[in-house]
Amino acid sequence: MIYVYGVLRRGRRAQVAAAGVEQAPIRGVEHGDVVALVSDLDGTVLAAAREVRAHWGVLDEVARSVTVLPVRFGTVLEDDDAVRSSLLEPNAERITELLHVLDGRVQLNVRAHYDEERLLADIIRASPTVAAMRERVKGLPAQAAYYQRIRLGELVAGEVARVREDDARRALEALDPHAVASRVEEPRGADGAFALAFLVERGAVDAFGAAVARFREQAGDRVRIRFVGPLPPYSFADDELRAGSPAWA
Amino acid sequence: MSIATTPRGYIERPRPSGLADVIDVILDKGLVIDAYVRVALIGIEILTIDARIVIASVDTYLRFAEAVNRLDIAQANQQPGLPELMEEVTSGGASSKTKGVIEGVKEKITGGDEDEDEEDKEKDKDEGKSQSRSRRSSSSSRSGSSRSGSRSRSSSKGGS
Repeated sequence: MIYVYGVLRRGRRAQVAAAGVEQAPIRGVEHGDVVALVSDLDGTVLAAAREVRAHWGVLDEVARSVTVLPVRFGTVLEDDDAVRSSLLEPNAERITELLHVLDGRVQLNVRAHYDEERLLADIIRASPTVAAMRERVKGLPAQAAYYQRIRLGELVAGEVARVREDDARRALEALDPHAVASRVEEPRGADGAFALAFLVERGAVDAFGAAVARFREQAGDRVRIRFVGPLPPYSFADDELRAGSPAWA
Repeated sequence: MSIATTPRGYIERPRPSGLADVIDVILDKGLVIDAYVRVALIGIEILTIDARIVIASVDTYLRFAEAVNRLDIAQANQQPGLPELMEEVTSGGASSKTKGVIEGVKEKITGGDEDEDEEDKEKDKDEGKSQSRSRRSSSSSRSGSSRSGSRSRSSSKGGS
């Protein structure tokens, strides 16, 4: 079986030194103008923690010098023929188009998290309803106040969702003008505020960074912002590709 | 979650040594081939699902209520500024700050990854993300594919 990492323009492939999944060497499967980066795979079970890093390492290395379309982690095809007939051939046009659009551009992630205590304190101060409910629940024994506690938590959850939405919108408004494209993603973790991905010209990374710095100033210490990149365009190579010859057709 | 000690405005390189960054960037991302064979990825599915925020659940409500009740507002008013906060967090003094809701989720992530457990959770959440092993049947991803499934790996490479 063949593990697939990504697709790039033929002839632009830098030598890949990083080992792939199961420590296998990386090679290319070519078709027309494009080449898929693959490695051979024996097993049917992957140790996720290690292999996710291998997938990452291969694409990270390639993306330093050329534009590569990442293929979703865990994608395995039967053999080289399948790589051509299921991936490269039927999607040649779309792949070429994506490579063209993404050429010379990198992904930058802006992730933000809250300090939970700070967030909750802000919510209590801002919402008289939450504050009143909290006082009421506090005076009651835990068992007696079960439903009140659920109601209180629900109110708080609603406020958290609202704050999260506001912050995401503000961040997008501040940063989107400095990017070619953007994606709103799902924040991870209960303290997650927002998760945004931006596509930026390689030459404009510093300017985008300056915009992030200005947004950080505005946001103050309410949110902790992480600005990570440059990355291969994981969030922008998000097409669902067509298979070669559908078995059910 | 690791905390940035980077000065404001500066870009960080992702840290592949910490799995969190890698997963955050690559999971559910990239080109999807609908004829692909998804190999079993032990541990990954459960990790994605649990890291996702589940706001609307009684569990979450109760944890929020507890966190809110425990909060000393007077004390909360004197929150340290960001630099101090980061120091505290990076030096491992975060435990007292991240109780409640956040901790609950962390525990889940590091919790058992038994197969059965995984299947149950997938069903509970009904995220349709059940790509493990033979369960590649219904909708393939939450980005909503309309022409997923119904295709086993078989020998579909023929015909060319």
